[in-house]
Amino acid sequence: MIKIKLLNKICNRISLSIIDLKIKHTLLLIFACVFVSNAQTVTTIKGNIVDSNGIALIGATVLEKGTTNGTQADFDGNFSLESVSSDGSLIVTYVGFKTVEILIDGQSYIDIALEINSDELEEIILIGYGSQKKSDLTGSIGKVDVDQLAERQVTSVNQALAGKVAGVQVNTNSGRPGGRTSIRVRGFSSINTGNNPLYVVDGVQLPTGGQITGNNAIDFINPANIQSIEVLKDASATAIYGSRGANGVILITTKKGTGESKFTYNTDFFVNVWGPNRPEVLNSSQYQRVEQLAWENSEKFDPAGWAAGNYALMEPRLRRQDSSVSHLFNSDGSAIYDTKWHKEATQQVLSQNHNFGFSGGSESSKYSITLGLRDEKGLLLESNLKRYSARFNIEDQINPWLKIGGTLDFNNQISNPQDWTSQPNRQIVEDFPFMPVRYETGTRIGDYGDNRDYPYAEGTQNAVKWLEGFPVEITSQNLIGSFYANINLTEDLEFRSVLGSNVLQHKQNLFLPGSINNNLPIAFVETNRNTFWSIENYLTYNKEINENNSITALLGVSWQQSDFEYLEARANALPSDAIKTHNLNSASNQFTFSSKNRKALNSFFTRINYNLMNKYLFTFTGRADGSSVFGGNNKYSFFPSAAFAWKVSEEDFLLDSSSISNLKLRASYGLTGNSDIPPYSSLGVLNSSYYGIFNESRFGGTGLGTLSNPNLRWEQTAQYDIGFEIGLFDNRISIEADYYYRKTTDMLLNSPVPRSSGYSTIRKNIGSMENKGLELSVSTRNISTADLTWNTMFNISGNRNKVLELATPADIFYVGGPGFTNPTGIIREGEPLGAMWGLTRLGTWNTDEAAEAARFVSYRGGNTMLPGDVKYKDVNGDYVINDEDRTIIGNGYPTAWGTITNYVKYKNFDLTFDVQYSWGNDILNLNLHSSEDRQDLANSYATVLNAWTPDNQDTMIAQVRNTRAGYVTNVDTHWVQDASFIRGQNFVIGYTFGPEFLERLKLSNMRIYGSAQNFFLITKDELLGDPEVEPLLGGPYVAAQGIKWHEFPKPTTFTIGLQISL
Amino acid sequence: MKFFKIKTVGKSLSLYLIFLLTFGCSDFLDELDPSNLTNDTFYLTESHAEGAIAAVYSDTRFIGGGAGIFSVNWQMLEAVTGQSTTQTGQNSDLNNLYGLAYDSNTGHIRNWFTGIYKLIANANLVIQNVPEISMSESQKSKIVAEALFLRAWAYFYAVRIWGDVPLITLPQTSASEDFEPVRTPQADVYNQIVNDLKTAEAAGLPWTDTSGRVSTSAVKSLLAKVYLTMAGHPLNQTEHYANAASKAKEVIDTGGGIDLFDTYEDIRNPNKENQVEHIFSLQYNGSDAGNPMVDMLPNFQPVTVLGNSGTGSTVPEISFYNSFEDDDLRKKDRVGWFYTSYYLNGSGSIFDLGAPFIFKHFNRESYGTEGVTGTNQNNLDLPIIRFAEVLLIYAEASNETTGPTQDALVAVKRIRDRAQLTSPNLSELSTDSFRELIWKERSHELCYEFKTWFDMVRLRKVLNSETGGFDNFVGHINLNSNQSLQEKHLLFPLPEQEILNNPNLTPQNPGYN
Repeated sequence: MIKIKLLNKICNRISLSIIDLKIKHTLLLIFACVFVSNAQTVTTIKGNIVDSNGIALIGATVLEKGTTNGTQADFDGNFSLESVSSDGSLIVTYVGFKTVEILIDGQSYIDIALEINSDELEEIILIGYGSQKKSDLTGSIGKVDVDQLAERQVTSVNQALAGKVAGVQVNTNSGRPGGRTSIRVRGFSSINTGNNPLYVVDGVQLPTGGQITGNNAIDFINPANIQSIEVLKDASATAIYGSRGANGVILITTKKGTGESKFTYNTDFFVNVWGPNRPEVLNSSQYQRVEQLAWENSEKFDPAGWAAGNYALMEPRLRRQDSSVSHLFNSDGSAIYDTKWHKEATQQVLSQNHNFGFSGGSESSKYSITLGLRDEKGLLLESNLKRYSARFNIEDQINPWLKIGGTLDFNNQISNPQDWTSQPNRQIVEDFPFMPVRYETGTRIGDYGDNRDYPYAEGTQNAVKWLEGFPVEITSQNLIGSFYANINLTEDLEFRSVLGSNVLQHKQNLFLPGSINNNLPIAFVETNRNTFWSIENYLTYNKEINENNSITALLGVSWQQSDFEYLEARANALPSDAIKTHNLNSASNQFTFSSKNRKALNSFFTRINYNLMNKYLFTFTGRADGSSVFGGNNKYSFFPSAAFAWKVSEEDFLLDSSSISNLKLRASYGLTGNSDIPPYSSLGVLNSSYYGIFNESRFGGTGLGTLSNPNLRWEQTAQYDIGFEIGLFDNRISIEADYYYRKTTDMLLNSPVPRSSGYSTIRKNIGSMENKGLELSVSTRNISTADLTWNTMFNISGNRNKVLELATPADIFYVGGPGFTNPTGIIREGEPLGAMWGLTRLGTWNTDEAAEAARFVSYRGGNTMLPGDVKYKDVNGDYVINDEDRTIIGNGYPTAWGTITNYVKYKNFDLTFDVQYSWGNDILNLNLHSSEDRQDLANSYATVLNAWTPDNQDTMIAQVRNTRAGYVTNVDTHWVQDASFIRGQNFVIGYTFGPEFLERLKLSNMRIYGSAQNFFLITKDELLGDPEVEPLLGGPYVAAQGIKWHEFPKPTTFTIGLQISL
Repeated sequence: MKFFKIKTVGKSLSLYLIFLLTFGCSDFLDELDPSNLTNDTFYLTESHAEGAIAAVYSDTRFIGGGAGIFSVNWQMLEAVTGQSTTQTGQNSDLNNLYGLAYDSNTGHIRNWFTGIYKLIANANLVIQNVPEISMSESQKSKIVAEALFLRAWAYFYAVRIWGDVPLITLPQTSASEDFEPVRTPQADVYNQIVNDLKTAEAAGLPWTDTSGRVSTSAVKSLLAKVYLTMAGHPLNQTEHYANAASKAKEVIDTGGGIDLFDTYEDIRNPNKENQVEHIFSLQYNGSDAGNPMVDMLPNFQPVTVLGNSGTGSTVPEISFYNSFEDDDLRKKDRVGWFYTSYYLNGSGSIFDLGAPFIFKHFNRESYGTEGVTGTNQNNLDLPIIRFAEVLLIYAEASNETTGPTQDALVAVKRIRDRAQLTSPNLSELSTDSFRELIWKERSHELCYEFKTWFDMVRLRKVLNSETGGFDNFVGHINLNSNQSLQEKHLLFPLPEQEILNNPNLTPQNPGYN
């Protein structure tokens, strides 16, 4: 019976490997089970297990030597083991710590402190379809564990990951609730296809496609449920995911029960306030000065129009007398109001987050339940996100050879991200400071004060009105379910079957009321559902052939399918605002759109890990993938990889080294693929979105659609990686470094075709691109005493991207940015992907250059250039400024980026200080287009106070004038700003209560903490606003990073939190 | 070991095999797009034929398609005439058009190329596939005729904009021999246009069509215009003046409801579309596709129900406005082609705009008018052929053929009478003086309808707004930018991207690189 129980336990452990495999522990148990129990005087022993800092070692194993009698330490490190022989001894083991043997010697309570075992890096790392000891890895894999994740109270997994792993660049491009991130593992692999990594949650692959409003499936997972994240970077690690591995793979392990009854409650309360580096705008008196000057200068820039009287009515004095706004000014013309729109349009409201965890079970059955509630109020008025999440996890060792488990994860999220348009953010800059939010005087008391009420101003509504007046509700429901069965076929051979599914349902209701839109109400309801399932079956063979040879082999097969269905209904001209989105059929004009598609993937995969003498490690993987999206003859492709690692520190000549405690060299090479293109890309289909208008009515039409390409095949990325890991002075200093080179070929490119065919592009495999980079992580244990520990982690990464070959020599434009001005980016052979593209602003024409300026024409509405106008570099010297004069002017991706994190623990206090940095990245600030280059239509940045005047000719900013007199605005070098930064990402200070206090509250643990996120930002003076941006309207373009267009401002977040466990 | 159980293994493996068999089916990776039609499922019924021709009509609206901020494609043909200017400098492509500094990268030019050839490709699909459908022969013939007309209309733009252009008359796949076509000599393109229009002329289309579709009168009018153009530069096939005159005369003589409207207000009245003076227009309605002329509204002035909207990126060049005689009704505020004052927010108290703006395409119903709030549903069509132009084609072509005649004079006089201008007697006219009179009348009557530029190229003459005379094209100074027209401006450059993507599309037009 005991034996059966023990075997139960062993199998349990083996299968649990995916969660917290502790191979050494298991091996010990196996070893232990061969001994026969010979108990004498029987007693019960209790004790407590801690590390050298007094931190409880949860789950440390205590085994009576020579028996199968054992237990584990609980959350506080306490254990209790019955029926032990009073003269026996205990063997105490814990991953990463030295195993100790302790004589019981009649004691009933023993305090045990384990020392870190720096000789063996026993950390277990997940690899695709399995796990390995860190020391046995041949590939490049970065890991983030639960402690690091818990430092930041964030809404999404990607935000939690930012800066944690070298080679992984996470940009948080919006400050909206939940954020909006872009994530790149080792640069780009693709131009028209996806660059998002593959996310695998507890063995279930998530669909990669972008979701509504710039989200991904991963964004709907509660980060509080996550135990660890592994990022697979090199081909050796990712090739097991073959076709889906080209952009890196992120393995997410969620929290599981340990079998012990436990309750935890974590909560935090936070508030968002304006973040650092907010650009200044003109105040009322400054605005009025600029306005007056602008009007006066119009005579210079449009003498004919001035003479014809075109500007007579635009005199500020007259504009202020207009009956709709005259009550906003004093009799001397000065403004009564000086509205700070950035204050009026934002809220500082308390947000809250609660997570409950329950877990329990028995030796063989374990469950865990987590419940979460997040109620986040964003910085912009009315912006919010509410998330209800629940996760249930169970596993059961049914019998010695069969174990099953399953997970159900459900999230219901309701949000108004307030970023369906960038208009409110733009209005915060451009709303006139002399306008009140709502009129308190005049004939329209209570109405919003809009710029449009001021004569000759741009016809927009104020920021507060945008935020309060246009409600959006986005509801997302995400269900992830998985079921697995492990069958131990023999001692060495395990069969595992995993069934996974993910259902992601979105609904977006958007309503534009007529009452404030000067238009009839418009309503949209959009829903889509993405249903994904996968079945994966694989055999794992694990054999230690002899002391010097061990092998792990994997063979598997997988099917995946993703179905997408979309339905949108739109109603123009609703009869009343009251109806909102709830009765679209009452409108006189209704439109519906729907579509459906399916993608399927079938794969066969294998991997062999061979360990020779525990010094030489070999990994071979291969995956054959078939995808429905490719042409008939090219559905399948094969992706192999090979890797080698040499544990140099295991060699005799280093075994006794006092300084080098660990040294490993790694090298890998492999192929991965990418099939992330829309379904049916290889088929030629007709398009039915045409419509003729006959008798004033829409008449649907069908015609030219897409060109077929039956030869469409996989995009491939070949990658090699060399790296080393070194541990010095008992691993007090650990360094890991990698160099990689990735070359993507057969790129799936929307390749331009001659438009004389009527078509614009064909999806084709053509072109190539490379990424190469260096990654370095250093972690140090600076101080390690009983009362004080101080650890530092530092990482730095650099990636260089270059487009090697495109389909045709023609450059590709409009690859990023909101597309309302000249192209902002270019894809060109020999250049980094998405280089910024524009003119070179030399400054402004000064007075003694008048004659030279006059030779230029055309770029100011076809007018002659004058002193005070923007001066561009005329690259080809033809006295015309046009496309021939545009060059590459910037790059949104940094030269290097990384993080420095310090962890300090002093007695019961803990402190985390997390600083992110990046240098060499540019932003292209399109805001200057309307907020600096032109005046008079709206408010401007305060930088226009430095505009050209006869006394201030050495400036980049053109002389102010009424825009109708002709002004200059182009994507140019002045808009490109150095966005290198150092950001105070996170500062946390926490206090963990001592045992006496906890005893009184009947708690096993309690910690309180406070934190500040995004609390400082060091940038170059020239930078206006936040350095990490990507316009929401940039769409799926790969090259939009760093393009600034009135993003949701990134807040500073102050948090206080409480963590308790029973 | 004891837990090794043969039975279990057997069970597991069978389970495994079941998985393999269930999901390993060969069609798991096959694709069939459920949301879109293909050549196999379309072009089978009469309603498919109607859907196919609707796609071609849909493509006609490319002229009103966006060309970057504050600009649409039609502005390419207006900015270069010198008769308009802009109140905003936001769109650098448009700036370059105004400054005659455009090049092969100018977005508008690429959009015209794309738009024209997409329409042609859709027309080719109709012309190829509809004859195979079993359906009413008369309806089939009409649908094909509409496609032929629209294809001819598109090629007519192409050949006037770029000269020699690829001539594609069959649907293409990437395997087509002429997928990377060469430039066809423009005379051949014109022949194709004429042949297509002649086929359409005989296809049994109704004389007029109030629904907005192609009619026989539209075919004949366009044919007249094509002949007139062939008679001018660069083909100089002067024998076509007679053809132009006779086609135009057919339209004038047949009548059938075709006439000038009594007032200019009717021309822009959304309730009088596709009738009387409107022979062919691009169709717009408020809900699906609104009228694309908003860039003619003043820059952020409250002339419509939307308040301070409008971009002012096409506003009258002041000398051109001044070149209208003061008592020309077309110059009269809110009566003809211009306005200098309007109602606040479309319907309030009247206010001074400070300058003249284009009223020709102003839709009072949508924008608002005195005391009546606008509907903001701009369903006004875009006129392509008005009867006024047919009259002027007739007058010009017949003058070139036979010199001034009473018929020709009456044609011009009908237009001048409406403008409340006096006209000379036949005896006062020579061929030369009548010619200039007609040219000037074309300038004033057809301004801001994307016609003037092609007149400038066809005649190599440009109205000098300050002198009232006609300058030679080369050397004429456009008053909106003070830039002079050069020889190279007679053609636009082919889009740079097209030349790079199609190595056969050479050479580039002279003067552009």
